[in-house]
Amino acid sequence: MTFRIRLLLIVTMAVAASVAVVEWSVTDKTREAFEGFEKQRVDALVRQFRGEYDRRKQDIVLAVKRIADSRLASDIAARPDPQEYHREAESLASTNGLDCLELVAEDGSIVSSAEWPARFSYKEEWLTAPGTDWKTPGAFLKREELEDGFTLSLLAVTTATAEDHKLYVVGGQQLNQRFLSTLEPPKGMWILFYRNLEPQFSPSRLIQVSGSGQPASQVQPLIERVLSRKQEVIETLGQGEDAETFHVLPLTGYEDNVLGVLLIGSSRRDLVRLEASLRRVAFFVAAAGILMGIALSWWATLRVTRPVMRLSETAAKVAAGNWGATVEVVSKDEIGQLARTFNRMTHELVEQRERLVQAERVAAWRELARRLAHELKNPLFPLQITVENMQRARESCPEQFDEVFRESTQTLLAELANLKQIIGRFSDFAKMPAPEMQLVNFNDLAAGTLKLFEPQLAKSHVQARGELDPSLRPVQADPDQMTRVLRNLVLNAIDAMPDGGTLTVRTLAMNGGVRLEVSDTGQGLTPEECERLFTPYYTTKTHGTGLGLAIVQSVVSDHKGRIAVESQPGKGSTFRIEL
Amino acid sequence: MEIRETMETADPPQTGNLGALTSGFAVVQWEGGRHAVYSADPAAAGGRPFLDSVEIQMGRALHDQSIALSLGKADVVEFDPNEPQRAGSAPKIWSSAPVRVLALVFGPRMENARVREALALAVDRNSIHNVMLQRQGEISGALLPQWLSGDAFLFPVATDVAKARALVSGVPPAVRTFTLGVADPAFRRIADRIALNARDAGLAVSAAPSSAAADVRLVEVRIASSDPAAALAGVASSLGLAAPPRTDSPEALYTAERTLLEGFRVVPLFHLPDVYGVGPRVKGGPGITPLGEWRFENLWLEGARP
Repeated sequence: MTFRIRLLLIVTMAVAASVAVVEWSVTDKTREAFEGFEKQRVDALVRQFRGEYDRRKQDIVLAVKRIADSRLASDIAARPDPQEYHREAESLASTNGLDCLELVAEDGSIVSSAEWPARFSYKEEWLTAPGTDWKTPGAFLKREELEDGFTLSLLAVTTATAEDHKLYVVGGQQLNQRFLSTLEPPKGMWILFYRNLEPQFSPSRLIQVSGSGQPASQVQPLIERVLSRKQEVIETLGQGEDAETFHVLPLTGYEDNVLGVLLIGSSRRDLVRLEASLRRVAFFVAAAGILMGIALSWWATLRVTRPVMRLSETAAKVAAGNWGATVEVVSKDEIGQLARTFNRMTHELVEQRERLVQAERVAAWRELARRLAHELKNPLFPLQITVENMQRARESCPEQFDEVFRESTQTLLAELANLKQIIGRFSDFAKMPAPEMQLVNFNDLAAGTLKLFEPQLAKSHVQARGELDPSLRPVQADPDQMTRVLRNLVLNAIDAMPDGGTLTVRTLAMNGGVRLEVSDTGQGLTPEECERLFTPYYTTKTHGTGLGLAIVQSVVSDHKGRIAVESQPGKGSTFRIEL
Repeated sequence: MEIRETMETADPPQTGNLGALTSGFAVVQWEGGRHAVYSADPAAAGGRPFLDSVEIQMGRALHDQSIALSLGKADVVEFDPNEPQRAGSAPKIWSSAPVRVLALVFGPRMENARVREALALAVDRNSIHNVMLQRQGEISGALLPQWLSGDAFLFPVATDVAKARALVSGVPPAVRTFTLGVADPAFRRIADRIALNARDAGLAVSAAPSSAAADVRLVEVRIASSDPAAALAGVASSLGLAAPPRTDSPEALYTAERTLLEGFRVVPLFHLPDVYGVGPRVKGGPGITPLGEWRFENLWLEGARP
């Protein structure tokens, strides 16, 4: 992945992440604010309901007390005869704004009932149950049985007395649609009220005061949970725009059982829409940000990478050998500084290289001079001695001059031949010919070379061993040059084992090529010697021109091959050629 | 004189209250179910009635009629049998003999005789009579009233909830559930009480305005004759019972009546009189016969033009 794409991705991700964080933060805050606002609205509605509920309770208590304090109630208490009074409850209830009113005699029998007029003379046993004196005023919820079923009423009980007789006045209002219609929920909220009048959940007992909330089947689990736990529940039903949050409150009754369940629902549609709107805005902002980021990062990467690319191209030129290549410095920033440093570096490298080449050239000339002096000094000294002997013999022993001359000329010719050989070797190195490629069987080449050197190996007490790969196929190479290479390596190996040892020539087939190894068990080489081994005119021996391995490397290089040496002091060396 | 009553008839009737009225008066205006005007007939057999005319407002609620009487807007009104008659609510009351039979009539779908008998046993006639009917009329288990047949007391009227419950204990709930239709709103409360009594016996009865779908109906039948046999035949015919054999023997009449009531297809509950409240201006009378027929030819109004 290029730096430009990487930078592009980083900028894009940074923009997207920033927008996502902002969007999440805004959404979270919005939700928090919305839920806080919703809680306020719900609390207000609950307060409104409780206020209305308490006010109704108070009204009912006052109405019942008013009836109980009336002259008629005293008359009925004194003589609780249904024949005379069985219609009174209806008119009294109507006059006092009550839905239900029962006038009950001291023994619990109904004298008159507004909500169920036919029920006179029947007993209301809960009124006369032990422990109930009805002296404390207050209204409560109660499940009431009517002709057509059960209803939920908010009742108050008080007593009227006359002539030591007591009359129970039980009055109240039904908790029905009319009762709850005074509640006015704000827009987006609604009220449901469930009257728990039957053992099982009954959808018909659910009053919807306002709005259009969830169907009964969906709020049923909520209601059942509140009925069983007798605790307030807050839960969200549905998903998306149809989601509604319900605050469900239990209302306990006369026997501390939950008789009513108030459900205040509020739609989450506004919140969902707001969140969706925020998401849309965030998406557009992110998209715009990403596009802008791409554009900016493209521009920035161009600004950053263009000089880097130029630097890279220049470095490639330098690597290719164009040491004069320089980078144009167009800015004063880090990139400009880098370009300046690069230019300075290449300039110094060129200077150092020139100095090095010069030094190497001087060193080579010195080495060449030393070698030449060394090589030429050896035959020159016998030449000088021989010539001096001849001069001395002519002056002092003329009679022996001819014999001396004959012997001396032989020596001179031998030394001149030696000089000619030395010069010939230098000449050979100077004019190494290009290889003439043909298929060469390296196994045959190795075997022939070993056979050629058998006498010399025997003289040097060196045991020769050939490990030749039978699967090796002929490889393109110059047979003469490769023979020369192998001989040089074998000679070097013999020289490295003055006290005898083992010489191993190994061949190995490799991917259409060949690996040729020549190993000795001699003294081995130090790492420094290994580094300089292929340098022309370098030798570790006391004799030789130091051109042998240089010639070997030159031939291998001309064959596009590689040569390497592995050696450990005291354990011998291995020269490895791969073609 | 102005009369208000609940009657709704399309044409001027020739029998009953209005039929009797035609003896001294002639119809001059008739709006079926709403309004009628009768004018004194100068050529009446017994001589011209004292009243010049009788104006009848029909189809009025009993409660409204009571108010009309109190306010002096009517001179004679029907009284609600359920309404307690307080002192001073009417200066004068005209009451006939108990000539209206209030009975439960089971429809053909009520095939289970045990359920029918259970309902007959569950009805607490005393409470209804004492409280709702203000002791007007008579409790009765017979079709004919005591004053007409003399043997009405022989028909059982006692409430026996335990027996009723035992009768329906093995009856499937669906059979024990039925509707009680009541056409006359004046008897709606009585129907409610009967439904309440039925509940004590383990029956699920719901009172509803009478309709063809009702399983049991609370009906009122008027006795139109002072002849017991004719009256029984009339009542049986009105209640959809088989016509009893014609007889003048009290024993045979009793047997016939008892036969009609076997199987509890019809359960007589009460015999009620016609009761009218009469305003202070109305003099003479009474204006009704023991059978409840109007006789206005001898009435006059105080302060009216002679």
